[in-house]
Amino acid sequence: MEFIITELKNCDLMEISGRVDSYTSPQIKEALGAIMAEGRCKIILDLKSVTYLSSSGMLTFINALKQCQLSEQGKIILAQVPPRILTSLELAGFNQLFDIYDDAAMAVKGFEVDP
Amino acid sequence: MTAKTFPANFKSLAAISDFIVRASEKAGFSPNEVYAIQTAVDEAVSNIIDHAYGGEDLGDIEIQVTNIKNGIQIILRDDGDPFDPDIVPNPDISSPLEVRRERGLGVFFMRKLMDQVIFDFSNKKGNTLTLIKFKGA
Repeated sequence: MEFIITELKNCDLMEISGRVDSYTSPQIKEALGAIMAEGRCKIILDLKSVTYLSSSGMLTFINALKQCQLSEQGKIILAQVPPRILTSLELAGFNQLFDIYDDAAMAVKGFEVDP
Repeated sequence: MTAKTFPANFKSLAAISDFIVRASEKAGFSPNEVYAIQTAVDEAVSNIIDHAYGGEDLGDIEIQVTNIKNGIQIILRDDGDPFDPDIVPNPDISSPLEVRRERGLGVFFMRKLMDQVIFDFSNKKGNTLTLIKFKGA
C-alpha cells in the first residue's frame, strides 16, 4: 500500500494505492491523524488504485470522518471508488455516511463551492 | 486439496490473499466472487489474530483449500482461545455515524459473502473455521 498526499487550496487529496487491510490501515490512520492535527479537515480519499479494502480500512475512514465532522465544515469525500470496493462499502452501509464522487477533480471542486 | 501455514500476523494478510485468490480463480469463480472470498478470508484471519490469539505473532494459522462440487471449502485452523463468530452480533448497518459501532463487521462480511460459515473448537485441534462458497449462488 502506498499513498500520496497533496495539499490543495481548499482541501487535502490523499491518493491511495494497493491493499488497505489490518496491516496497512494503521499507516493511513497515522497520516490522516497528522493532517487533521494541523486543523485540515477537508479531505478527499482517492481510491482509484486501491485493490482491496477490508473492514479495518473502512473503520479507519469512518473514524477519520467522525473526527473531521467535529470541526466546522469538516468532511471526508471518497472519490473514484472501484466497483467491488463500492459494493463492500454498500454491504456495510458506509456508502450512506460518505459523499462519494466518480471523479477526484469534481470532489475538489465540491470543496471549492462549499466553503 | 492445498494447504499452507502462515504466521498469525497482519503482514501475512497479503500472502494469504494471494493464496486464496489463486485457488478461487483456479476453481472457476468470477472476479466478483473471488473478491468476496478474499474479503471473507481476510476478515476471518484478522479476527483470529485479534480475538483468538489476542495479538500478533502468538501462533500460526493453517489454511486448507478444497474444491467441492460447484464451489470451494476453506478451512482455517488456529491454536488460540475459542472464538465463535456465531456469538458476535451483526452491526446495525443503518445506524448514523455518531452511534456507529465498530465491532462485528468482519464476522458480518464473512456471513454475507460466504454460503456457509461453520465454527468448531476442540482442545486437541483448537479453532476450526470452515467457509464454503458455491459458484453463482
